[in-house]
Amino acid sequence: MTPGPSGPILTANAVTHAYGPRQVLKGVSLEVRAGEIYALLGPNGAGKTTLVRTICGRLKPDGGEVRLVGRDPFSDGEARAALGLAPQALALYPQLTVAENLQAFASLAGVRRRSVPAAIAYAMKMTQTSERSGALVRHLSGGYQRRVNIAAAILAGPHLLVLDEPTVGVDLTARDAISEALRRLRGDGVGILLVTHDLEQAGDLADRVGFLRTGEKVLEGPPDALVDEAFGDKMDVQLDVGETNPELTAWLGGQGLSQEPSGGWSCLAPDGYVFGAQLAESLKAKGASVREVRVRRPTLAHLFARIAETKAAAA
Amino acid sequence: MSFAMFRVMVLDLWRDRPALVMTFLLPSVVFLIFSSVFSGATGIDVKLKVAIADVAHTPASARVLKAMLANPNLRVEVANPATREGVRQAVRSGHDDAGLVILTDPPAPGSPFLIFADPARAVAAPLTEARVDDTLADATPDVLLVRTLRDLSPAIGDLTPDQKQNVAEATQQAASDTKSVPKTAPTYLHEDVIGAKKGGASIVYYAGAVMILFALFAATHGALTLVDERRMGIADRILAGRAGIGPVVTGKLIFLIFQGTVQAAVIFATAQLVYGVDVSDHLWLWLVTTAAASVAAGGLALALVALCRTREQAQMFSTFVILIFSAVGGSMVPRFLMPPWLQDVGWWTPHAWVIEAYQDLLWRDAGPSDLYKPWFVLTLIGIAGFLVAQLAARRIRT
Repeated sequence: MTPGPSGPILTANAVTHAYGPRQVLKGVSLEVRAGEIYALLGPNGAGKTTLVRTICGRLKPDGGEVRLVGRDPFSDGEARAALGLAPQALALYPQLTVAENLQAFASLAGVRRRSVPAAIAYAMKMTQTSERSGALVRHLSGGYQRRVNIAAAILAGPHLLVLDEPTVGVDLTARDAISEALRRLRGDGVGILLVTHDLEQAGDLADRVGFLRTGEKVLEGPPDALVDEAFGDKMDVQLDVGETNPELTAWLGGQGLSQEPSGGWSCLAPDGYVFGAQLAESLKAKGASVREVRVRRPTLAHLFARIAETKAAAA
Repeated sequence: MSFAMFRVMVLDLWRDRPALVMTFLLPSVVFLIFSSVFSGATGIDVKLKVAIADVAHTPASARVLKAMLANPNLRVEVANPATREGVRQAVRSGHDDAGLVILTDPPAPGSPFLIFADPARAVAAPLTEARVDDTLADATPDVLLVRTLRDLSPAIGDLTPDQKQNVAEATQQAASDTKSVPKTAPTYLHEDVIGAKKGGASIVYYAGAVMILFALFAATHGALTLVDERRMGIADRILAGRAGIGPVVTGKLIFLIFQGTVQAAVIFATAQLVYGVDVSDHLWLWLVTTAAASVAAGGLALALVALCRTREQAQMFSTFVILIFSAVGGSMVPRFLMPPWLQDVGWWTPHAWVIEAYQDLLWRDAGPSDLYKPWFVLTLIGIAGFLVAQLAARRIRT
């Protein structure tokens, strides 16, 4: 693995782009450094895909600039050589084995013939896919295919790895395996741009996250710091009380709790453990059955919801 | 990089066994069917089905009927009912290709035979007439003698009594022993310009016609992976790299040339084994011709697919173009049967060039000096298609 440069591998500076009259990117800036996982978050239509296309050199931005290892990825093949892309779709040949796929993509990525075996071994090691190297891709589980998808993106030893929804449609075990692979790559100095809707994974994995909303970056920073800044000492209190009646519903609403689609109740409250205990006592006194009270730190999901609420309120 | 794509295409096809069978065995089966259907359509081997009725009921008409029923070049059956109307109905219903009614005693003056034919099978009438003439000459020469003398009498005047006696004896002799009549020299001599080559011209024609038809279909199927790779995100992955899509398209063309060549080898091996078409004696020139045809098919297929955005578009568009080219270029019906203007249009398709090149090579024993033109045109078509595909494939970058 070639060590990354000391400065940012990726720099997007005030990038703007419009499709006809629709302004999709409105001056987005971000940096990804070597050995860093940067999670790009945002609702559908926020401009994530367009930003990724400019980073991958598929699109020339209307304004601003994108630099990959200091070069323009749109016009400079050497810049794109520093990039590995694992698209959201499984960009693999299903009729070929894992090893055959990796061999093909290594060659197509410009890896010299004599370096191909080492590149494949590295990619398999990083993604833990060597045990099924002889299996046809179409015979693999969804999670395993996702890992091979990542392996195919790192064959040329990229400085920047762009992952578009790498955990979509996979179970928890597979997601953990993918997270482990990304940590190994980070440890190896690869900068990772993770485009995802999986807020939990982003919170667990990312060194920094950036929120895009309607073409603008509205927040950026380490996940914990962003959550702390947004919610302070508030805790997420969740309550499962089973069946309710109108009187109980009104009382819970009066305590600041709101009902979730799953049927449970929740709120963000300072001193959450005490608040949760008090709620449970009060409900018992009212004769309600309290099945579960959960108190936990707010997550990126709460932050995401707040941003969405802010947007709705602004609209 | 291009070799990597070639290898991917080979492995992909190798592991898709139904596609493998359809790519390499189906063309041979279709070739065998086409050649069986059309090898008899040149006129020489056509065995018409003829309904016949003898309403004259004379000894001579009975002999003609018997001779016609025994004619190995026709499939003759007595109409049911054996009347003029019965024959007409047999032809009208399509049960028979043509009908023959013996109206009057054949040696008697007038027109003793009536032929019924369906305008939809127009060639049946003159063919039946020719077969009847042959039968009369072979089986009832006495009848022909009497009719000929009667036809000549206005010009040569009446026969003397001695001559009449001789004619009567000759006629009687001919009626009892048809072989006793000396054969006259035929008016026409026939000579085949190709000589006694093995494998009919129509066999060679359809080997070429089926080769280019299936080379294009199979090449289009292979080229469709361009669209599939776009849909699957593979193009995104490749485009994000240094090399871009160029080597991918080149690798696919190399594979399509290889596939077309193998496909042609199977078809022409079948032609040699089953019909005796002499391919092995022309191996090198055949290989160059086949490579040129495969380049044309591969380049054209890549262009057709690369110009489309979706698989559905590509399938519809390419099928449309291939069918039109096949029809006009002579893969379905021999070009010499087409109107002259359509034959001229056919030269704008690779099919016409491929078919002509194989016919020149395998039927007319043409050499490189005769074949360079189709080789050049086919290669040019392939290169043009390849360049269009390269440009169209780059379009997907943005």
